[in-house]
Amino acid sequence: MKSFVHFNTRSVDEAIHLLKKYEGKAKINAGGTDLLGVLKDRILPEYPEAIINIKTIPGLSMIEDGEEKILIGALTTLADIINSSLIEKTFPLLKEAALSVASPQIRNVATIGGNLCQDTRCWYYRYPDGIGGRINCFRKGGKTCPAVSGENQYHAVIGAKKCYAVCPSDLAVALTALGANLTIAGQKGVRTIPVEEFYHPLGNTLSPDEMITAIHIPKPFPVARQTFHKFTLRKPIDFAVVSVSSLIFLDQEICTSSRIVLGAVASAPFRAYKAEEFLKEKKLSAKTAEEAARLALDGSKPLAKNAYKVEIAKTLVKRAVQGTE
Amino acid sequence: MTSIPKKHPPHTLSLTVNGETHSFILGKGPNEVSPSHTLAQTLREKLGLTGTKISCDRGACGSCTVLLNGKAVFSCMLLTVECEGKEITTIEGLSDPKTGNLDPLQQSFIDHTAFQCGFCTPGIIMSTKALLNTNPSPTVDEVKEALSGNFCRCISHYHVLDAVMDVVKKEGNQ
Ligand SMILES: Cc1cc2nc3c(=O)[nH]c(=O)nc-3n(C[C@H](O)[C@H](O)[C@H](O)COP(=O)(O)OP(=O)(O)OC[C@H]3O[C@@H](n4cnc5c(N)ncnc54)[C@H](O)[C@@H]3O)c2cc1C
Ligand code: FES
Ligand code: FES
Repeated sequence: MKSFVHFNTRSVDEAIHLLKKYEGKAKINAGGTDLLGVLKDRILPEYPEAIINIKTIPGLSMIEDGEEKILIGALTTLADIINSSLIEKTFPLLKEAALSVASPQIRNVATIGGNLCQDTRCWYYRYPDGIGGRINCFRKGGKTCPAVSGENQYHAVIGAKKCYAVCPSDLAVALTALGANLTIAGQKGVRTIPVEEFYHPLGNTLSPDEMITAIHIPKPFPVARQTFHKFTLRKPIDFAVVSVSSLIFLDQEICTSSRIVLGAVASAPFRAYKAEEFLKEKKLSAKTAEEAARLALDGSKPLAKNAYKVEIAKTLVKRAVQGTE
Repeated sequence: MTSIPKKHPPHTLSLTVNGETHSFILGKGPNEVSPSHTLAQTLREKLGLTGTKISCDRGACGSCTVLLNGKAVFSCMLLTVECEGKEITTIEGLSDPKTGNLDPLQQSFIDHTAFQCGFCTPGIIMSTKALLNTNPSPTVDEVKEALSGNFCRCISHYHVLDAVMDVVKKEGNQ
């Protein structure tokens, strides 16, 4: 890796101060499982001058139980989330999502904050500069997205315009289904934003001097049925081809309300509002599941090689609605 | 707001590998450790511990697996400067330092010929070690899960499972 100046920070204030000082030319390092790959392949428009280690900040790795919500510190590892009995009991879908990520070695190190902020895995965007020269795709400041007419089997099927890369984070999908909020600290102070509004088509809404400090997840009340389904070719290591996470509030067999979120189909976790609306006050059956699945993917516009993703997404929505594996 | 130190600390770095502490000067010189070095690089190039292999160098194959405070991690995805104060164990640290006897797990791999080219083997043994440290009597499925981040292109998996389960039978409670 090309060199950089390295800081071990002791506080959120210090990290923000450094981010501000380097004016966009510094990167935060949490677990490093995404960032180090990005640095090795030199895919960022500008190679960072400084790397700011935030693992040395005390107090950001914790899971705290509250009356109405659970607070997870940004530095909490995916392994800690998986091993928490509180998470298993309260948010089984979050445990499932964390367990589906990469491999044990990655989960021992990768943090929830880093998982949410990881860069896209589009193979044109990630193409290493060192092999045959840089692919200047739209996301890197180029004019077009090579996936549109190229190899697009894993790209977006809904809502994409200039860039067809998908959001790779499984936890983002799970946390959107759970209606979680992020606490973000920056030079201007602290703000809160729903995970659902955190992403935009070319990344996330963090400004260069901001970092996530915590994730707040409301406890579903009354108790809701939770699911996280992820389709991959191999079980370990693979990113989602499609995932679906859902929170379904039931009164007997009748759905009172729901949150159904699709992953790896768009640049952000995609909330299937039309399906949610349709399911309201409906009895959950094979027929309603079928219609919910159709509505969830209504308006999808697959590319030449990824129409199959629409069918997989429908199947996963059906499974989520029916509560089948 | 905390003030930012003027110089970039630390200028020296101490690493504890297999129970021994090593000191390095941070910098770009031939005998120094750069802030951008990965732990895998430092282990191999500065400490000569070449049992840890680098294959994909992107966190996808498992051949660089070492233990960090007892947990299996990819040394290719960790910055050496961020490992200060941690206990690092590599494949070289498994044998008995006094007698030189191999760890029973290593011996079992030999007895079951649980490798072909052997490039993935140190990583697989380290992942297994991390599992057995916390769970001395795992089921086959638990072993498979613990090894799900270790790839072997020679298809030694079946012999690996035999080697591991044999150790579990002898040393664990099954
Ligand atoms: C082989 C492989 C397979 C994978 N499979 C999956 C998968 O199936 N599903 C999935 O979801 N992920 C997958 N990943 C990605 C992995 O989950 C992420 O690399 C990891 O979660 C990132 O966490 P980290 O702490 O290591 O982040 P880092 O690498 O430290 O950081 C990632 C990015 O986030 C920024 N960042 C980190 N923390 C913060 C913060 N608190 N505030 C603001 N910015 C921050 C960093 O600056 C950096 O840009 C895979 C990765 C690999 C290598
Ligand atoms: S070399 Fe580290 S995971 Fe492949
Ligand atoms: S024995 Fe050759 S890669 Fe595993």
